[in-house]
Amino acid sequence: MTRRDFAMLMAAALPGGVLLRPRAARAAEAIPVTLYKNPSCTCCEGYAQYLDQNGFTVDVRPTNDLAEISRRAGIPSDLEGCHTSFIGDYVVDGHVPVETIRKLLDTKPALAGITLPGMPAGSPGMVGEKTEKFTIYAISRDGTPPRVFDVV
Amino acid sequence: MSSIPAFALRRRQFLQAGAACATIGLPGPGWAASDGLAVTLRPGPARVSMVGDAAPATAVWAYNGATPGPALRLPQGTPFRAAVTNGLAETTTVHWHGMRLPNGMDGVPGLTQRPIPPGGRFDYAFTPPDAGTFWYHSHDHSLEQMGRGLAGALVVEEAEPPTVDRDLLWTIQDWRLDPDAQIAPGFNNHMEIAMDGRVGNTVTINGRLPETLHVRAGERIRLRLLNAAIARIMALQFEGHVPVIVALDGQPCAPHTPADGRILLGPAMRADVMLDMQGEPGRRYRVVDAFYDRLAYTLVRIAYDARPPLRAHPLDAPLRLPPNPVPRPDLASAIVHEVRLQGGMMGGGMMMSMGNGGGMMGMGGAAWAINGRSMTGDGSADMPPLFAIERGRSCILDFRNETAWWHPMHLHGHSFQVLDRDGEDVPHDEWGDTVLVRPRERVRVAFVADNPGDWMLHCHVMEHQIGGLMTTLRVG
Repeated sequence: MTRRDFAMLMAAALPGGVLLRPRAARAAEAIPVTLYKNPSCTCCEGYAQYLDQNGFTVDVRPTNDLAEISRRAGIPSDLEGCHTSFIGDYVVDGHVPVETIRKLLDTKPALAGITLPGMPAGSPGMVGEKTEKFTIYAISRDGTPPRVFDVV
Repeated sequence: MSSIPAFALRRRQFLQAGAACATIGLPGPGWAASDGLAVTLRPGPARVSMVGDAAPATAVWAYNGATPGPALRLPQGTPFRAAVTNGLAETTTVHWHGMRLPNGMDGVPGLTQRPIPPGGRFDYAFTPPDAGTFWYHSHDHSLEQMGRGLAGALVVEEAEPPTVDRDLLWTIQDWRLDPDAQIAPGFNNHMEIAMDGRVGNTVTINGRLPETLHVRAGERIRLRLLNAAIARIMALQFEGHVPVIVALDGQPCAPHTPADGRILLGPAMRADVMLDMQGEPGRRYRVVDAFYDRLAYTLVRIAYDARPPLRAHPLDAPLRLPPNPVPRPDLASAIVHEVRLQGGMMGGGMMMSMGNGGGMMGMGGAAWAINGRSMTGDGSADMPPLFAIERGRSCILDFRNETAWWHPMHLHGHSFQVLDRDGEDVPHDEWGDTVLVRPRERVRVAFVADNPGDWMLHCHVMEHQIGGLMTTLRVG
């Protein structure tokens, strides 16, 4: 690894970089998403497909730096999901259902983003039966404690 | 035997001087060669230039101010002593990884010794029975202490080493640095514990971002590879070259080229590789690490100088290393113990999912378990051993990886023979102290339980270890 690689690696750890794998043009309204995931985690691919099928166009980027990307996006470590997406100006962490993402994008609150912690069974992209309501937390821009954004 | 500081070695650890395995025991007054070697190791905070002189120095924890710590080079079969004085603000120990040594020298806090308090001292003394590439590292708060740099190489020299032109050591470390070249916070991340650990974003060789290895056509290099990372698994490919593996984890094997050209090294694993530099003068070749899906990168480049080859044909000296005095297990009479590795994300069992809110299910909050039990943190002496083995008995460990993740499983105090993987014999008479078990794979290893004491058996992805993938065996 050279110094230049190091610099690029650092740049890659920042959201909003150049798309590495541009996809074929989609319907005009498809919303671009950049999704960072652990290279070995498969459920994140399932979530990316779910977004792709629901009006988003997802650029999946495997990274070993996921925890650092999530931390720098402001997600408290105890509320992390297993992948981190960037949609417009927002971070969307974990297996958040599209209804909640659309609520975020439509209402445009002054937030850093939202997170569904962990990998709850039955959430989009995850295996298993949904056995409980999912609580999605709002992440502030100023470091004030997370509050509930949505329960689905 | 008197102690001498090891700091003088620091400058010699870089890639080129890289012969790096500098001899550490400059004879002091009254020393005779047969007295063996003594060093002083002082773990403590330091600042090192890791990613280039233009970047800020990185705050690390280091042995004698350097990370990796001084490369110790000892003759086989002669006494060694290390006085460790703790310059950290927390307790520490030193584990001599791969050494078949007395239990009290193994450096496991609570199990084999009391941890060394800040300002305290502990003297380690042993005589290395085996020649090969070994290493030393903290075994206390080990995720963070190793993750901040407390590791170094320990090379035990053969009495009659093979003929090579150069003997190089690459101590490979993996760091998660922020843009200011400082170690990022967030050790103990609960998602990473249950996945593949804290894999970093910056890989160093001998403490620096590697740039170029300069070679001359025709030379033979013995390259000692040490994966001293806390989580990163590596699959090294030497573009345009045919590396021949001659030892794994310090123990000689039948010289062979890796099956798919990739040298697979999990955390804590070593490979001694013979490289005949048969590339073209003036050309450059890449060494690529291609382990992680879609994340291959060039680790370092090999640059040939323009001079004609050193010799017309590759050296015809034998590649095989002299054998070590490791007892060979008797498979017919061996006792077999199953070691089931359990847990983690996507495990299909207890840890298939994490509840909303990030809580983990099963295993009393631990992410991992061996045979249903989780020893967490740095271990707990009050947990009974997984099993006891009569001293001198041959033992087969039958690893069943029931998880979706890779686990480099390390046994203390012994070297084992790797028998088979998913029922297929492992060729090349492969031995080790750390075996990389693939997801869902079954691997069997065998050893003679000839070293009395309670010994750690754990995954060397440090987050897996502290997250429960750890147990002890009792020999005696």
